[in-house]
Amino acid sequence: MKKLQDTYNVVSNEQLCAKFYRLCIDAKPVALAARPGQFIHIRVRNSLEPFFRRPFSIYRAKRHVEILYEVIGTGTQVLASKKKGDILDVLGPVGTPFCLPPKGIKHVVMIAGGVGAAPFLFLSDVLKERRYQMTLLYGGRTKGHVFNMEEFKKNGCKIFTSTDDGSVGVKGRVAVLFSKIDPDPGKTFIYTCGPRPMMASVQDFAREHELQGQASCEEVMACGLGACLGCSIKTAKGYKTVCGDGPAFDLHELIFES
Amino acid sequence: MNITVKIGNAGFQNPVTVASGTFGHSEKYYNLQEVKKLGAIIPKTVTLKAQEGNPPPRIAETPSGMLNAIGLENPGADRFIEDKLPALKKIGVPLVISILGHTDEEFRILAEKFNAVGGISALELNLSCPNLGKKVLVAQDPEATCRVVRLVKDISKYPVIAKLSPNVTDIVTIAKTAEEAGADALSLINTFSGMVIDIKTRKSVLGNVTGGLSGPAIRPMAVYMVYKTAKEVKIPIIAMGGIMTAEDALQYIIAGATMVAVGTANFINPQAPLDVLNGIKAYMKKNKIEDIKEIIGNILT
Ligand SMILES: Cc1cc2nc3c(=O)[nH]c(=O)nc-3n(C[C@H](O)[C@H](O)[C@H](O)COP(=O)(O)OP(=O)(O)OC[C@H]3O[C@@H](n4cnc5c(N)ncnc54)[C@H](O)[C@@H]3O)c2cc1C
Ligand SMILES: Cc1cc2nc3c(=O)[nH]c(=O)nc-3n(C[C@H](O)[C@H](O)[C@H](O)COP(=O)(O)O)c2cc1C
Ligand code: FES
Repeated sequence: MKKLQDTYNVVSNEQLCAKFYRLCIDAKPVALAARPGQFIHIRVRNSLEPFFRRPFSIYRAKRHVEILYEVIGTGTQVLASKKKGDILDVLGPVGTPFCLPPKGIKHVVMIAGGVGAAPFLFLSDVLKERRYQMTLLYGGRTKGHVFNMEEFKKNGCKIFTSTDDGSVGVKGRVAVLFSKIDPDPGKTFIYTCGPRPMMASVQDFAREHELQGQASCEEVMACGLGACLGCSIKTAKGYKTVCGDGPAFDLHELIFES
Repeated sequence: MNITVKIGNAGFQNPVTVASGTFGHSEKYYNLQEVKKLGAIIPKTVTLKAQEGNPPPRIAETPSGMLNAIGLENPGADRFIEDKLPALKKIGVPLVISILGHTDEEFRILAEKFNAVGGISALELNLSCPNLGKKVLVAQDPEATCRVVRLVKDISKYPVIAKLSPNVTDIVTIAKTAEEAGADALSLINTFSGMVIDIKTRKSVLGNVTGGLSGPAIRPMAVYMVYKTAKEVKIPIIAMGGIMTAEDALQYIIAGATMVAVGTANFINPQAPLDVLNGIKAYMKKNKIEDIKEIIGNILT
């Protein structure tokens, strides 16, 4: 049996833009088992600081496993210092992946805020095979949060970008791009991942137009295995764990509180 | 080499177990051969009625540890017995069931329910959960500790283990009370009360405001409590608090613990309980220790 936790070599670790990095890990068994929406839980170094593992969506799973990450604290700083050949302790793939859109739907819209774009390249790899039309609405804070999206384009995604300060694309939150969505519930399905207020605005929009969708959620995690019940979030069906019941949830099941 | 240990009339193939609330992932992570190596399994505390748990966020990372306020989320005794117990029994490792009653009567009903199902090695009484908003825990009140332990001991067909809270002035007093009331063993310790404040929002980082601290951060305090208690009681101690490695576990054994439980470490290194077991065996081999009992409480001063 494949071990759910193992150590693997870093293949590459490159900076994509001012804020984002892309780490490639030689973890073929993880890549083979992975499905879009799942994540890996990384122990960034063998020490008590930082104490917890750190969860990252799987950005790509081909021969290697890749993640897209933003440096925000100690854990991601340590990750950014990794070099080719370094060893990384990886648990995964874990979590419930995205569901495919219901039958009859041809068009998916992926709505991402910042590194919330991470699960969508892998998703577009899979949806491309199934010949979906794809649109990516991407909202970044500034141009430092906008990276080269060539691979999304190669998968056939139409891309629209906004930044809070207007330094790239349309000025404003990603909601300014909702006009790009064909709001026909028989044709369009939504995937979203990003900060909570952003996902709440997507949920409002989807509700208004009766669109179905899925959202990938975040919460602080300890085990990543459904053991500690620490990463629970509120849903219409009671508390659910992000690491086991999610990260992918039915968009309308989630309860976002301000 | 003999590493078997006993608690009351229950025997265990080795002294390594897992702390309640930290081992809900055995089917996901382990294959059967691996998990069979554990001395015992202690699942998450079961209450009489289902509890949905505390509002999120429920956990926070702290220096060398974590704060949690899960709020005893569990499906309640009946559903636990129906849905979860069969799979746990199938593993074939002795089960220690952790129970918590909100009243004496609930403790009595819980003990009776587990008497009826059979196939359990011991009951652990969670007298020390700090997360239910009560001002005083059972384990902070010698009289209540005595009453609850005696009540369960009178009816339980299994050995009874009292799990104590470190949030007391003198844990030895409570430990002796539990022993006098008939406890077959003590679990030391549950989490230390704690809190973390986000200075940007001026709010606690936990939905429940306060929580329980665990992990290596608490280990020296827990080792101290085990050391002090072991000198004063005759019943065995199951020790826990920040055990990440065999070296950590051996400190507790030398301080007087008969068994050791791996808790928070499961979240960081799911392999930790087996690493601890292998490390204890390696230490005994290296130091030519034939029987684990030679080192239990054998601290040189
Ligand atoms: C299922 C899941 C998938 C994720 N996927 C990705 C991904 O693909 N790429 C990526 O870059 N990140 C992802 N994250 C978030 C990532 O895990 C955190 O950014 C990371 O753990 C931060 O670690 P750190 O030690 O650098 O920062 P810390 O020192 O832990 O935090 C620094 C500051 O950021 C805040 N913070 C920490 N985590 C988060 C968070 N999740 N959201 C908002 N604020 C936070 C903290 O409160 C603190 O103030 C994911 C999280 C989850 C739960
Ligand atoms: C997430 C979490 C959940 C816990 N749940 C329980 C529980 O349900 N019942 C209980 O008696 N102790 C519970 N505990 C306490 C542990 O069993 C243990 O006593 C404590 O964490 C100290 O050990 P450690 O530092 O190795 O984790 C929990 C601890 C954590 C971290
Ligand atoms: S992180 Fe432990 S249950 Fe999700």
